[in-house]
Amino acid sequence: MADDKDVLRDVWFGRIPTCFTLNPDELTDREAEPYYLLLPRVSYLTLVTDKVKKHFLKVMKAEDVEEMWFEYEGTPLKWHYPIGVLFDLHASNTVLPWNITVHFKNFPDHDLLHCPATSIIEAHFMSSIKEADALKHKSQVVNDMQKKDHKQLWMGLQNDKFDQFWAMNRKLMEYSTEEGGFRYIPFRIYQTMSDRPFIQKLFRPVSAEGNAHTLSDLLNEMLPSAVPNEGEQKRYQVVIHGIEPLLETPLQWLSEHLSHPDNFLHICIIPTPTD
Amino acid sequence: MAAVTVSGGHTVRRSGRVPAVGGGGGSAETWKRHIVRQLKHRDLKQHAMFQDLIRFYTQLLEKSSLAKGILNVRCPPSDSSSLISSLQLQKSTGELAYQVVELQQQIKIKECVLEEQHARLVEEKCQLTAAFYARQELQEQVEQVKTKNGALKLEYDALLEQQRGAETRLREAEDKGGHLLEDMIHLKQRAADRMNNLNERRSRARAVKLQKDLLNSARSKVAVDSSSSAPTSRSASPKSEGRDENTERRGTRLFRSASATSPRIFTSIKELFDRKRRGRSVCSLEEDLMGPVGICLAARVPVRALQVLEAHEQGINAVRFSSSSDLLATGGTDRIIKLWEVRAGLMSHRATLDGSTEGITCVEFDPTGLRVLAASYDKSALLWRLDDSVPKLTLTGHSRKVTAARFSSSFHRVVTGSADRTIRLWDLHRAACVQVVEVASYCSDLVCTENCIISGHYDSKIRVWDTRTMNCLQEVPAQGKVTSLDISAEHRQLLSCCRDDCLQLVDLRRWSNERMCFRADGFKCGSDSTKAVISPDGCFLAAGSADGAVYIWNVSTGKLETRLPDKHSSSISAVSWSLSGEYVVSVDKSRWAVLWSDI
Repeated sequence: MADDKDVLRDVWFGRIPTCFTLNPDELTDREAEPYYLLLPRVSYLTLVTDKVKKHFLKVMKAEDVEEMWFEYEGTPLKWHYPIGVLFDLHASNTVLPWNITVHFKNFPDHDLLHCPATSIIEAHFMSSIKEADALKHKSQVVNDMQKKDHKQLWMGLQNDKFDQFWAMNRKLMEYSTEEGGFRYIPFRIYQTMSDRPFIQKLFRPVSAEGNAHTLSDLLNEMLPSAVPNEGEQKRYQVVIHGIEPLLETPLQWLSEHLSHPDNFLHICIIPTPTD
Repeated sequence: MAAVTVSGGHTVRRSGRVPAVGGGGGSAETWKRHIVRQLKHRDLKQHAMFQDLIRFYTQLLEKSSLAKGILNVRCPPSDSSSLISSLQLQKSTGELAYQVVELQQQIKIKECVLEEQHARLVEEKCQLTAAFYARQELQEQVEQVKTKNGALKLEYDALLEQQRGAETRLREAEDKGGHLLEDMIHLKQRAADRMNNLNERRSRARAVKLQKDLLNSARSKVAVDSSSSAPTSRSASPKSEGRDENTERRGTRLFRSASATSPRIFTSIKELFDRKRRGRSVCSLEEDLMGPVGICLAARVPVRALQVLEAHEQGINAVRFSSSSDLLATGGTDRIIKLWEVRAGLMSHRATLDGSTEGITCVEFDPTGLRVLAASYDKSALLWRLDDSVPKLTLTGHSRKVTAARFSSSFHRVVTGSADRTIRLWDLHRAACVQVVEVASYCSDLVCTENCIISGHYDSKIRVWDTRTMNCLQEVPAQGKVTSLDISAEHRQLLSCCRDDCLQLVDLRRWSNERMCFRADGFKCGSDSTKAVISPDGCFLAAGSADGAVYIWNVSTGKLETRLPDKHSSSISAVSWSLSGEYVVSVDKSRWAVLWSDI
């Protein structure tokens, strides 16, 4: 029990040390110093980078500033993915801190979504929660909640208030005992080299016989290549929140405890580092 | 599980561990532990290591930008933002300077207040020390006063003790005084009781006798003749009520009264007709009359003692032969007078007269021989009738002892001389003092002649007084203190006995010239009241000496005739010569009386 609470807390308070460097092509009055920041894993880039913007705007002329966007080693970072997912997917085994380049020009419209205001992030976040609850409870719980409860969920995330968030989120994590779990587990599997952005399918936490599905069951179902066969070396790492849980971890538990605040279980499949 | 930990117990929707998972209890924990460990590891690597670094970097960045901003103020403000910030800084500096000035002012004010308070504190301290010293002084004074008080208290206590002691002593003395007083009163009471008893007995005896006499006389027949009618009427004259018995007695003596000299009778009748109430007259008519006076033809010088007897209980002071009979009276310190009859060479006790409360100094018979007058130490003279042991009369008035009491020539008068330096004349009918004569000195003895009273005094003078006027006619010097006087039978010669052992005989007719002095070897006057006598015929002088011998001088030769020693063991106080001349009696202080005669 205490372990579960600790797990929740550790998940919520996870941080990634990041170094924001201004794109050298940007026109500046003087040389801009990099800005270091500990980014929360569970939040979104555009929600937590106001200071970065302010920092870099000090050295830039106002007329040169357009919408800020980030890229890592040439890959524009999608702001609507949780930061932890972005890191695990792109830079999980690299040297820390995570070096992100800040751009103010040449916004890649076909790669990234625009994020002009915080309300866009809120809308995206709430739609994720509703989608997850639709999978888990046929949207019953979310619809039973009032508007202020939704607001509480968003405010908890925005202000980094664990207790405030989880006071509401626990309702979304409940299930009736006869079912043994959620209706369907809300998950997304990300891969670096893939034509699809992510894999999301219906998957029950409990098998028809009543056995609890594990992570390996899910992977075998969704991405068999990720699971190493007997005798083979592990080719892929299954990373959730920066850790590799054991494949026999029950899925229901994973969904309850290792979900992101948007109630989805984001799983990253990355190739094992060869060094 | 997670839901349970977060909420309390939500019954409808509960997420619990799926029982199927419980199959591998150990494995369930394994993956969880793995996850927990992994999370911890991740955090350590990614979070903790960079946390502080990034924080410090950010702070440094801010500081450097701030410094840059300040530096940029110096330059001509091309940046509006830097200008604004520099202006803001200026404003803040100005404000700060203003605040500094204000604060400095406040500091100054506070310092002033502080100084003032310091000054006040110093003042208060001074006052405190002054008060402290004053208090110490006062305390010392208090101590002094306390010690003084203590000393005073001690003194007071000592005095109190003394006072208490004195009080107790006083009380004791008072108690003793009270006791003594009580004892004295008691004794006096007892004496008075005795006296009362005695008087009662006597009066009872008298009453009884009277009854007997009355009965006898009532029975006896009285021969009454007409010659005695006058006296009878006399006797019927108004007298006091208590005189009935006297009437009867007078009846028996009518015979005698009828033979009285005439002038007396007439004066008595005159008095009767005056209807004078005689009151308590102690002298009846017949007693005013003169009785026959005997004359001695020749006195005989005594040769030897016929009888020596112990006459009284205590010392004898006076002795006197009666002039009309052979009765002898002796009186002394034992307060009684004893009457003796001398017959055939022997003294026999006849009667006792008492009633004096103190010793007798002098005894005299009246010329009739029926009454005895005595002078006493109890400041009174007493008069007895011979047949009555109770004194008929007590003459009081002197303030000291009466040394001599004599019947005056006028019969109802008595002269007393006393140690209180007065001579008093008393009237026997009234029993009162009629005259008091102040004399210069203690009168030791008296004699009476027809017209004068002669008194001898301690100042060695003999004074002669006129009887009627009581003026001092003459003062005759004596050899020394006069102890006694005696007069010869025909009132011609006066004998005075002096303390310097000399007897002096003075001729009364020729005062100044003839004075004979008689001395003798071995004759010493024994006391201040030694009595010397002239013999009834006037030829001899007798006196008792301190050596216990009787000395007899011959008047005509002036020499000692004889000396009678060895019978007295102590000083002789008085001598008396009987009228017949036969006997001489001497008495002394040791209670002895000696009867001398020449037979």
